[in-house]
Amino acid sequence: MQRSAAVTEAETEAQLWKFHKELSAGIVSLVLLGVLANAKKPMYGYQIARQLDETGEGVLSGKQSALYPVLRNLDAAGLLASEVEPSVAGPPRRYYRITPLGRRVLGDWTYAWTTTRDFVDAVLEEP
Amino acid sequence: MNNTPKTIRDYLDQLRAALAGADPALVQDALYDAEDHLRSEMAENPGKSEAEVLAKIANSYGAPGEVAAIYVEQERVVEQALRPPPSPARRSLWGRFFGVAADPRAYASLFYMLLSLATGIFYFTWVVTGLSLSIGLSILIIGVVVPIVFFGSVRVLALVEGRIVEVMLGERMPRRPVYADRERPLLERIGAMFTDPRTWSTLLYMLLMLPLGIAYFTIAVTGIATSLALVFAPVAELLAHFGAFDGNVGIVVDGNTIVPPLVAAPIAFIVGVIGLFAMLHLARGVGRLQGALAKHLLVPSSR
Repeated sequence: MQRSAAVTEAETEAQLWKFHKELSAGIVSLVLLGVLANAKKPMYGYQIARQLDETGEGVLSGKQSALYPVLRNLDAAGLLASEVEPSVAGPPRRYYRITPLGRRVLGDWTYAWTTTRDFVDAVLEEP
Repeated sequence: MNNTPKTIRDYLDQLRAALAGADPALVQDALYDAEDHLRSEMAENPGKSEAEVLAKIANSYGAPGEVAAIYVEQERVVEQALRPPPSPARRSLWGRFFGVAADPRAYASLFYMLLSLATGIFYFTWVVTGLSLSIGLSILIIGVVVPIVFFGSVRVLALVEGRIVEVMLGERMPRRPVYADRERPLLERIGAMFTDPRTWSTLLYMLLMLPLGIAYFTIAVTGIATSLALVFAPVAELLAHFGAFDGNVGIVVDGNTIVPPLVAAPIAFIVGVIGLFAMLHLARGVGRLQGALAKHLLVPSSR
């Protein structure tokens, strides 16, 4: 009896992990754009990661490594702009800021996100 | 695999092990990001030991295995999003031969062949000048600085050439430089630069780029010029025939013009068209070879 409980727990955990992975794919980009849209100064990767850490738990907690490649991709897509500045502590840091295109895209994405969220909430709450 | 890393070096080794089998360029990028994050975390928590910081890292940045999984997955998604849609597979021999005209990669490779003369001359000159200055000035005080600056510049050039190769030839190349660890003493870092086999293979690549660039450029220009000449020869011949301009149309050898018979005109046209398509095939093949060479000599093998 005990053994089957352990098996189920491992299984739900695996399912949760898989769900997190699928869920986080698009959300990371949205969150990064959001953070940089609200930032007053350009930010570098570690700074963003720490700010998200302070904000709270979510699909991203424990997976900050996912931020870095996404930052590069958003930069390559022109939604973010970046420049490299030397730092005292380590190698030169790449500072990111949002571009006008990024802001427009963020507006669209925010709308898509809110409608999706409301829709999902409505489905889940149905008796 | 399951033992928690105690030092940053351990962590990076575990990450490298977890990424075994992935593209070496992806491994370099992932290692750079991880080391950057880890060292920033260390700098933020000066009081804590490396082991303490790393215990925290496993919960925020992710354990090496998780990080590796995220990078491999991310790479797959980006690959799919960025890669141009594959041209439809053509069955027939004709379709396969002429289908190359619809492959953007072939044109980009052709352009790379033309460009490589310029880059090849530049790399070769840079390496030869840098090496001779380094050796020649080594008896002076300034001789200490020159080789360091030179070897540093070679690393930057390797990254730049990697970007060119990835954009034009489609070979996945590193998007981050090799991480320069500021914690280690300066002399040790400089020493590492000289003992790193990749530094020397980069130099070899840059020297090779001169003969390769000359060959690529010559082949591309000759191939295109010959094919185009053959394609347009019949037109010129017709125009000359009807007196549009004076003189003979033909092949000039040592001042003598050999005028082929008019029946040869359609054959020249067909050969010219086939030559153009053959050039595209050749360019695509050269692109693949050059991409493999660049990957081999410019990217550290992931062991």
